[in-house]
Amino acid sequence: MALSFKPIRPLLETGTSAASKWFSYIGLCLGVLLLLCSIQMYINIRQMVVEGNMRKNGFDYVPIAKNITTEALKNPEKTLFTQPEVDELKTQPFIQDAAPLIANQFRIQLSAGSLLSFETDFFIESLKEDFIDTVPPTFKWQEGQETIPIIFSSDFFEIYTVFSAGQKLPKIPRDAAVGFSFIVNCYGNGRQQQFIGKIVALSDRVNSVLVPESFLSWANQTFDQQKPLGASRVFIKTKDANDPHLLSFLDSKHYVINKEQTILGRNKMLLQGIVTGMGIFGLIVVVLALMLFSFYLQLIIARSKDNLKLLLTLGYSPSWMSKKVSNRFLPVYIFVVLVALLLTQAIQWLFYHYIMQDKPQLSPFVHWAVGATALALILLSLFTNYRMVKNQLYKLN
Amino acid sequence: MQLVVSQLLPAYFDESVTQVSEIWGKEWAVEKNDLIKIVAPSGSGKSSLINFLYGLRTDYTGMISYSGKDLSHFSPEQLAGYRKDHISIVFQDMRLFADETAALNLEIKRQLNPYHPPEKIKEMAERLGIDSRLSFKCSTCSYGEQQRIAIIRSLLQPFDILLLDEPFSHLDNNNSEKAMQLILEETRARNASIIYADLERSEIFPYTRIYHL
Repeated sequence: MALSFKPIRPLLETGTSAASKWFSYIGLCLGVLLLLCSIQMYINIRQMVVEGNMRKNGFDYVPIAKNITTEALKNPEKTLFTQPEVDELKTQPFIQDAAPLIANQFRIQLSAGSLLSFETDFFIESLKEDFIDTVPPTFKWQEGQETIPIIFSSDFFEIYTVFSAGQKLPKIPRDAAVGFSFIVNCYGNGRQQQFIGKIVALSDRVNSVLVPESFLSWANQTFDQQKPLGASRVFIKTKDANDPHLLSFLDSKHYVINKEQTILGRNKMLLQGIVTGMGIFGLIVVVLALMLFSFYLQLIIARSKDNLKLLLTLGYSPSWMSKKVSNRFLPVYIFVVLVALLLTQAIQWLFYHYIMQDKPQLSPFVHWAVGATALALILLSLFTNYRMVKNQLYKLN
Repeated sequence: MQLVVSQLLPAYFDESVTQVSEIWGKEWAVEKNDLIKIVAPSGSGKSSLINFLYGLRTDYTGMISYSGKDLSHFSPEQLAGYRKDHISIVFQDMRLFADETAALNLEIKRQLNPYHPPEKIKEMAERLGIDSRLSFKCSTCSYGEQQRIAIIRSLLQPFDILLLDEPFSHLDNNNSEKAMQLILEETRARNASIIYADLERSEIFPYTRIYHL
């Protein structure tokens, strides 16, 4: 038959005040609540900032350009990125990769054929496929192929929709845009050639008209034959577009990055600072509450010293007693942490629903890391109590 | 099991006591079924000896070994096991939980390593005439009653050696005899030994060996 703690229990109930007990419970609950809320808010901020950018495989892909000043206008080459500058970008620790947007160096005209009286000069660009968010398998071109697959910017498509109404051009629904064809005429170097441009995908990330790199390098050589010019825009691949090191590096080089994509980052630092401060405060409260619990336990041990000493004299094992005495508080710890967790969940739901207006990047439920922290707190408090009680009992022995 | 005592002397005693004592500074051992009587006048270190043998104190020179292991090197867990399974004691000062009932005091010891079923408590209490006191707090019991509770407590566990430190100091002859009878029965049932320490030579304990402290 297992050794029962039941006959031992009354030996420890020696004059502990209910008020001090509840005071420590409430203190612990508030501390845990602060800590859990801080972790959840930290995660919320991260999710809002990270999800705000165009991420692929956990990376941000953002275009940068050179700051165009009036002086630079006199010297247009200075607004373009040279190859050493692109290489320098690649060597930065906070930039995983960089790829220039290569533009056409010859004249391109786009028309809708005989169906519509629409003709315009246009531009195309190419970019390393890894940097494009939507690359269908049809985005390939080989010499001799008449059809050029095109990835069209979603933003440009929106502009067309607005523009088409005034120009009496047909409206094209977004779904039907993929598969839409038009005629592309290339001129230069005394030659002219007609191709069929076919939209194979829309891109939310790249504001351009993208063609396969193989086509543009062939076309630039065929219709221009001059030395390739630099790129006016370079896409960078980074773990965090809001990384302060990246932002200060770009500022020092007078490179321009999309302000909207980094404004959150600049605010993020401030917000994370506040939330971290809140978390540290919560942690201090938790430590204080745990200390209070520990003192409370020490008080019980001090008050029951004679009884505990006699139990050890009779042959009770100090480990067994430590386990039993510290486990007495397990239901209290679980209850306190569960209450704090439920309150955190309620706060998260209110935050999601009323403050963030059901923002899709956020979840109405607490993150798993918050639950894991709550569990870790229970285990930590049990472990520290067990160690403390055991040390005290060994001293009595 | 064998309890071997070698050159034992309390750290606070003068070496000269070894010349007159049959215990201090000598070699002796406790064998199975030994009934050892130790006659010890006041101040001769009777309770110190009992505490040393029970592993409660280590402020001595020399060595006490149990089953070949030095008692002073026992860990707190090993000491707990020693007291739970191998050695039992009746303290001179009883050492009961004063604010708890006699029944709870006995159950706390019995459940630690149940040698007897719970009913045995009542049976022993009846034999020693304290069954009506079982539901009373020990603090309300007389010294004589408390001593009998302490005696029953010592008999509720398995043991190889039973240490008795003036176990009948508060009992009349009739109650002492009844208690001695019960102790001897329980000790024989376990093939165990007794070390009985008292102030003076008394005929109530049928010793097989006698030492003067």
